[in-house]
Amino acid sequence: MRQVKEVVLMDDLEFRRRVFANPGTTDKDVKDAINRDSDKARLKASLQALDHQLCQAIKVPVPEDLAHKLIWQQTTEEFNKHKRKSRWFIAMAASVAFVAGITGTMIYQYEPENIGTDALVHMRYAEMEIPPSAEDLDIQQINAKLAGFGGAFSAPIGDVTVANYCHLNTIRSLHLILNTEQGKMSVFVIPHKDNMDMPTSFADDKYHGESWSTEKANIMVVGEKNANLEPMMEKVKSTIIFST
Amino acid sequence: MTSQVYSVMKEKQKRYEALVHAFHGDIYRYAYWLTRDGSIAEDIAQETFLRAWRSLDSLKDEKSAKSWLITIVRRENARRFERKQLDLVDIDDVQVTDDAFHAKQEGDHEELRILIARLPVDYREPLLLQLIFGYSGEEIAQQLELNKNTVMTRLFRARNQLKDMLEQDASSERGRTNG
Repeated sequence: MRQVKEVVLMDDLEFRRRVFANPGTTDKDVKDAINRDSDKARLKASLQALDHQLCQAIKVPVPEDLAHKLIWQQTTEEFNKHKRKSRWFIAMAASVAFVAGITGTMIYQYEPENIGTDALVHMRYAEMEIPPSAEDLDIQQINAKLAGFGGAFSAPIGDVTVANYCHLNTIRSLHLILNTEQGKMSVFVIPHKDNMDMPTSFADDKYHGESWSTEKANIMVVGEKNANLEPMMEKVKSTIIFST
Repeated sequence: MTSQVYSVMKEKQKRYEALVHAFHGDIYRYAYWLTRDGSIAEDIAQETFLRAWRSLDSLKDEKSAKSWLITIVRRENARRFERKQLDLVDIDDVQVTDDAFHAKQEGDHEELRILIARLPVDYREPLLLQLIFGYSGEEIAQQLELNKNTVMTRLFRARNQLKDMLEQDASSERGRTNG
């Protein structure tokens, strides 16, 4: 009686379904069926042989240098990151020399704590800054840097050619340089710090800038003297998000 | 502090290299059989491992890393189709593919390779996961977000079609030799 029941459970169709789906199966009911029926045993053996061949056939040759390339591309990515940083340090050094120069030889017109002044100084050197690659940075790359300040852009804000950390008034800030229809523009994201003098607008003979404050950071947009900053400010305001 | 950062970086680099060595072959082959094109497969493998490097900290163990890599390959492959949406031709309908495949593949496995490439992707993919990665029906179902019965049916049909095609080829071969 019990045997009849098993035979009903494991009919031909079910047997085929099971061994075709997995010729290597070691399920007990499949084994039992094989032991009782040599045709089933032959079918399973032939499918296992086919699988063996399939496994061989699927092993197409892997390009010899692939592993090397995969490791190399990652090293290159890291290297480029560092290179970008060190380029910035050269610009920083130039920037420091410049500030020392004007403080020594001219009457310093701006308050020393005025962060807008620092931004303007940076602007002069922004022009010297060579973009690390011909390609614009994509939003992921920018957001990766902005993430350090708990922020992100929800959409691209334009052709960002440089995104680097810099120190404005000793505050580590993010400096983005963009190519716009109105020339080069910079967006600075500056985390809040006590006693920071943040002018809402500032200018020198070449550049002018505007700033506003968000919950997590101050943001400045700086452009050339006659550039209209409004569109860029709007774009930044509508896309920048800070995590709470 | 700097040396600490350095040793963390070194550790990360080591983990990445281990991941590359463990999986690059299988990932390349999986991409190859999805796309049936060596150079596209190489591109996909590169993109996949670059993403792996960026997310390395979240890839805890080898098993989850494997499944994660497979997911990225599938996504990259799908993205390729999105990009080409307008001039997309269903490759399954293009008989020319067989010839290109034929010319490229040498050796004993040539015939089987052509037949595997001819399988519809819905049947080919679970079969690849089973044969390349040793996945069980359950694991394939999880990876492809299908239910297990569907997976078992597709695996059944994949081998069934392969067997049919092999028999057809064998009989046409006999016909040619005899005639």
